[in-house]
Amino acid sequence: MNGLLVAIKSELFVALRTFASKLIVAAPALVAAAQLMLVKLSEAGQQARDSLLGSSGFEQSVANNAYGFFVDGLSTGLTMLGLLLVAQGAYSFSYDRDIGSIRHLLIRRVSRSSVLTAKLIHLHLLALMSVLLLLVTSYLLSGALWEFAAIAEDGFELISEQEIREEIWLGLRLALLPLPAAIAFGLLISVSAPSATQAVTTALGITLAIDIFKGLLGDMANYLYASYQPSLIDQSYLQSVSRIVRGYSDVLIDDKVLQLNMWVPFPALVLFFVASLWIVQNRKI
Amino acid sequence: MPALSITGLKKNYGSFAVLDNLNLQIEKGSIHGLVGLNGSGKTTTIECILGLQPFNSGTITALGQSPKELHLTKGKLVAIFDSPSLHPNLTVRQCLQHALLLCEKPTRSAIEVEKLLGVSRFSDFKIKNLSLGNKRRASIAQALLGDPEFVVLDEPFNGLDAEGVDDVLELISTLNRDHGTTFLLSSHQLPYLEQICSHIAILHQGRITHSDTIGNLLGSAQTTLQIKTPDSAAASKVLKGIPGVDLLSIDSDGYLNVTIKDTDSIAINKALVENQIPVAELILKRASLAGLFREITSEEVI
Repeated sequence: MNGLLVAIKSELFVALRTFASKLIVAAPALVAAAQLMLVKLSEAGQQARDSLLGSSGFEQSVANNAYGFFVDGLSTGLTMLGLLLVAQGAYSFSYDRDIGSIRHLLIRRVSRSSVLTAKLIHLHLLALMSVLLLLVTSYLLSGALWEFAAIAEDGFELISEQEIREEIWLGLRLALLPLPAAIAFGLLISVSAPSATQAVTTALGITLAIDIFKGLLGDMANYLYASYQPSLIDQSYLQSVSRIVRGYSDVLIDDKVLQLNMWVPFPALVLFFVASLWIVQNRKI
Repeated sequence: MPALSITGLKKNYGSFAVLDNLNLQIEKGSIHGLVGLNGSGKTTTIECILGLQPFNSGTITALGQSPKELHLTKGKLVAIFDSPSLHPNLTVRQCLQHALLLCEKPTRSAIEVEKLLGVSRFSDFKIKNLSLGNKRRASIAQALLGDPEFVVLDEPFNGLDAEGVDDVLELISTLNRDHGTTFLLSSHQLPYLEQICSHIAILHQGRITHSDTIGNLLGSAQTTLQIKTPDSAAASKVLKGIPGVDLLSIDSDGYLNVTIKDTDSIAINKALVENQIPVAELILKRASLAGLFREITSEEVI
């Protein structure tokens, strides 16, 4: 336990003084903020064009609901965070091995399993901070640029703000559940690859390949943790939430898929991490 | 309990046996040099000792721990590698502060070891911006924050200038004398090892062929003398009559090559002059580690 604490302190010491960790924490929030501002600019242009042409947009009150943009911001930020975490997971162990700094830890105070566990914990802390920053940024910016409101049609409230928030919270939880598995997947590649460069390219390559192929797998994709992660080809529930908060009432999550979303990522995390531990115990460092 | 004990160590890379039944014992308080040709397995041996590399068979115990449990020595064993093994994006001071986290009981501050290794003026420099020599100094500095009992150094003199080498030699000597620190040094720089080591182990063809004190190893090696005289025939006769002198050869330049034991060049010179044989040149070639190493490996040493 003492060794694990030393390893975590060591991880945090380096993380606080290097650029990569700061990038992971800040980048998703910055990208989401940039997206929201660009959408606002584009929308302002559209409104100006509409008023010049004398036409009115489709139901502005629904389309301009800040909740929709808030969810879009979250979705974009989490897509980026997922890729960043896979890349950083792949980079973390292999880079320390490349430069040799991991040797000092192993020889002096920390077991191999503790080093790997510390990296897993550290990446989770980064993910947590990044998600919190993303939430705050997206929420504040969406609220500043648009207005949070219930979904109403002809003066009749279809979905209350409370219901919207509950749906967003469910979508967010379901989107966050695969992230630990994504981190563990990155670590698995990290301990297996011969160098940091190969680890990062392999991890990102496989992640993007899964993204492409999950559409072809049909229902089998529901047993893949990556299916529930916001990604470039999105199957996560957060994408559906984005439609719900824009008034599309036909979008609902299937109960079986909901259950799989909740229970598939954790075994994947355990599987990847146990495999990583086995590899790290038996390879040259 | 010895600082290090290796018994029957075998390590194969595929079908190639790089270490074949290697045995080595290092007593506490000694400075042990590990020498061998390029590719003889010095670094592999060190990596096996440090638990960084799996091995096929044999047992290794360093400070009472197996290689996979070296972390249980809690920093009593430290290693300094051929490459600096430091985070390139941290400054020297940050690297030392980072290393302090790994010391259970630091005995020196970061500032102290910076001064000790002469890297104080580079303390705010990032490791990636340092010269190789200063990277090595920083690497050694971070190993000295605690009070290690056993220090393993792989090619410690690589990239160091003459002053840097002197500093490292002085440091090793001081730590060994004042704190009883045990050292295992792997290096090609045989003159430096000869200067600092109490013991030498020669690694050749996958095993330790010789391991003893420098005195015993060099004592078994022969000192040679080259003598140039216009009367080689008469000189040969006189030399054969001196106890402890063996005539080896007369080379094309007219030099008589002899080995001497239990006598010295003064006695030989005196004997020749007393027999009215003029001596033009008398060159004494003392036994050296490099000479002994060449003799054992029968190959040129860099």
